Amino acid sequence: METVTGGSAIQDKLYEFMDVLRYAGVSISTDEVLSMFNAMPHISLMEKTVFRQALKTTLVKDYTDIPVFERCFDEFFCGGEDAQVDIANAFRDMASRDTLRERTGLNREETDALEEAFARFIDSLPEELLFERSPEELLNLFLDELEQAESSGGGMGQMLFNVRSQYRQAAGSGAPGSDEEYNRRLSELMNAITARAGKRLSSEKIGSRISTREDYLLHKPIYKITPEEIREMRELIKRFGQKLKNRISLRKRRVKHGHIDIKRTLRTSLQYGGVPFKIFRKDRKMDRPQLVVMCDVSGSVNQYSRFMLLLTYTLQSLFSKVRTFAFISNIVEITPLFMEMDPERALGSIFEDTNFTYGWGSNYGRTFDQFIKDYSDSLTSKTTVLILGDGRNNHQNPGMESFIRIKDRSRNLFWLNPDRKHLWNWNDSIAYLYQEHCDEMKEVNNFLDLSEFIDKLFLDL
Amino acid sequence: MFDSVKSTIEGLACQRYIASEEIATTVYLALKMEKPILVEGPAGVGKTELGKCIAGALNMDLIRLQCYEGLDESKALYEWEYAKQLLYTQILKDKLSAIMKHEDTMAKAVERLSREDDVFFSNKFLLPRPILKAISGKNRSVLLIDEIDKSDSEFEAFLLEVLSDFQVTIPEIGTIQADVKPLVFLTSNNAREMSDALKRRCLHLYINYPTRELEERIVSLKVPECGGKLRSEIVQAVHKIRELQLKKEPSISETLDWARALVILGIDDLTRDTAIETLNLILKYEKDIELAKQNAANIFLH
Repeated sequence: METVTGGSAIQDKLYEFMDVLRYAGVSISTDEVLSMFNAMPHISLMEKTVFRQALKTTLVKDYTDIPVFERCFDEFFCGGEDAQVDIANAFRDMASRDTLRERTGLNREETDALEEAFARFIDSLPEELLFERSPEELLNLFLDELEQAESSGGGMGQMLFNVRSQYRQAAGSGAPGSDEEYNRRLSELMNAITARAGKRLSSEKIGSRISTREDYLLHKPIYKITPEEIREMRELIKRFGQKLKNRISLRKRRVKHGHIDIKRTLRTSLQYGGVPFKIFRKDRKMDRPQLVVMCDVSGSVNQYSRFMLLLTYTLQSLFSKVRTFAFISNIVEITPLFMEMDPERALGSIFEDTNFTYGWGSNYGRTFDQFIKDYSDSLTSKTTVLILGDGRNNHQNPGMESFIRIKDRSRNLFWLNPDRKHLWNWNDSIAYLYQEHCDEMKEVNNFLDLSEFIDKLFLDL
Repeated sequence: MFDSVKSTIEGLACQRYIASEEIATTVYLALKMEKPILVEGPAGVGKTELGKCIAGALNMDLIRLQCYEGLDESKALYEWEYAKQLLYTQILKDKLSAIMKHEDTMAKAVERLSREDDVFFSNKFLLPRPILKAISGKNRSVLLIDEIDKSDSEFEAFLLEVLSDFQVTIPEIGTIQADVKPLVFLTSNNAREMSDALKRRCLHLYINYPTRELEERIVSLKVPECGGKLRSEIVQAVHKIRELQLKKEPSISETLDWARALVILGIDDLTRDTAIETLNLILKYEKDIELAKQNAANIFLH
């Protein structure tokens, strides 16, 4: 460990890495921080795989966060090809903190206070500013603020004032040209702070870049997503869907009190000579909803339907029964495809040998009539019906009668509409007609809307 | 006791378990830090096996607790032997009345009796279940809590005391603290998410499918009669198949089954035709087999 400057430098570096993880959206509790530090003495920091695993095993408890961890680790610890050197270098960088102290003649508390103030300042800045401005610009902003605080007599300003007067004093008692000396030292201070700021920024950037990218994709209107992004999106949906599923299943498990648990009640009654003093109840089986999903797969909303179906099948185990239908002007049950294939492959094969068209364009009326005629057995009092479509019926018969029957025979009826609300009654859209009979018609623009809707669906049950 | 990550790998290898550096690191840290391990990962990657092999390598007792829905503390922690307690009361009836004979009031009799009731709630009538067994044992043991995701969330709550403090509280007796902390090994297939409280107390290990090199070593260890050429062909094919979008990916145990079957069939070179004919050994869904057949040209090079 001769390459590493000292214990506290390593600690700082590890704290910094945890910040990176937190910015990237991995939650780390104090327990985990403690166990990570407890683990460090047992391993050698120079063995990369072991070091990486030690961090991973103590800090990351949600396996869906593992890919995020790997990316953060790679970016934070290994910029170049030789990882061992990288780790050593990264630790050595921490020494620049000592350089800062040495060069400016500030004592430790003062440097710490200055750095802390600067860190606070950076935290307080809005994200856009952080990404756009260079460290030098940020430093200038910071110094401006200090100067203002100085004139109003704030603590930090007072400190900087002291520093400056110290320089002058030292310089004044010395040789002439003291102003030059003062300026030189001040510029050194600037440089050291800039270096520090640069580091701080970059660690913040690694983490937030990953989570910003994800946020960006989740918020991006689905119809604007490019083919390249779709692949990225799928990974994200899997990860995000899994998280959503975990959260929902944890929540629903807490529902209690069903039938009497005879075995347990009898066993306990033995304590009281066979008198059942204490009654135990079984947990009520999670009341899992049945789901019928009808997706418009015509060009205008195809992409939405794909994401919807993908999410539905990621969450499949939360429902007791899922039946899926796709339509344009002809409705076809696509449940079997998903039974025997991976959801993504099933999505790909939807168009292979099915004919969704009967005549031209989407025809909601015909679809609903057909559904009532052929598939009404899928509707029970426990069924939640989800329709995804824009309600653009191409000026054809709306099939209101069938639609109302679907509503009457199911528990809830929700409609997700990718169109903007103000377009719902525009041109050939008859969304407003349908909306009257839905429990809710919701505008969905991006993936987050979709998942929020599903999340809420379970809250309401 | 292992004294480094390397010796952990070697120790497990002696138990015929090939551990990656990641697995070994977590196991080693868990032993050193005396923390439980929560292992997650797809089915059939050797999670349970790892627990068994650690016990074997360190020569510790393996105490296994298989979780299922409805598992409660009387099956996992401890239970009072009511039948035995009743039997003893019956047998000792005379003795009891002899003791009580000299008490003239009811209150005094009760008081007299209560001085003796510790007898009936003592270790003698306590039936230790796996967790209490692991805690109260004289020697360090491995407590394997298998498929924790199958249990109810209430059961998780019982575990918390054990996992963080290695103790069990029995209201009638008091708290039983472990003299030697067992290595607790929890496995989960992700049927449901574990609570944060439980995860916080554990080291986390995610075992994924092994790398090609590692899987080849596993095959050579478990199916030694499989030749080097066939072995690498099998493993390569399985890895390519895992990349397809499958309903159920082949696990390590399926790779091993395949290798064994091909050896029995007397095949020493995996040609495309033999591979396609025996695909049903590693793929369990008709559509998955179909997909693999479609991509046969990419998967099987011969």
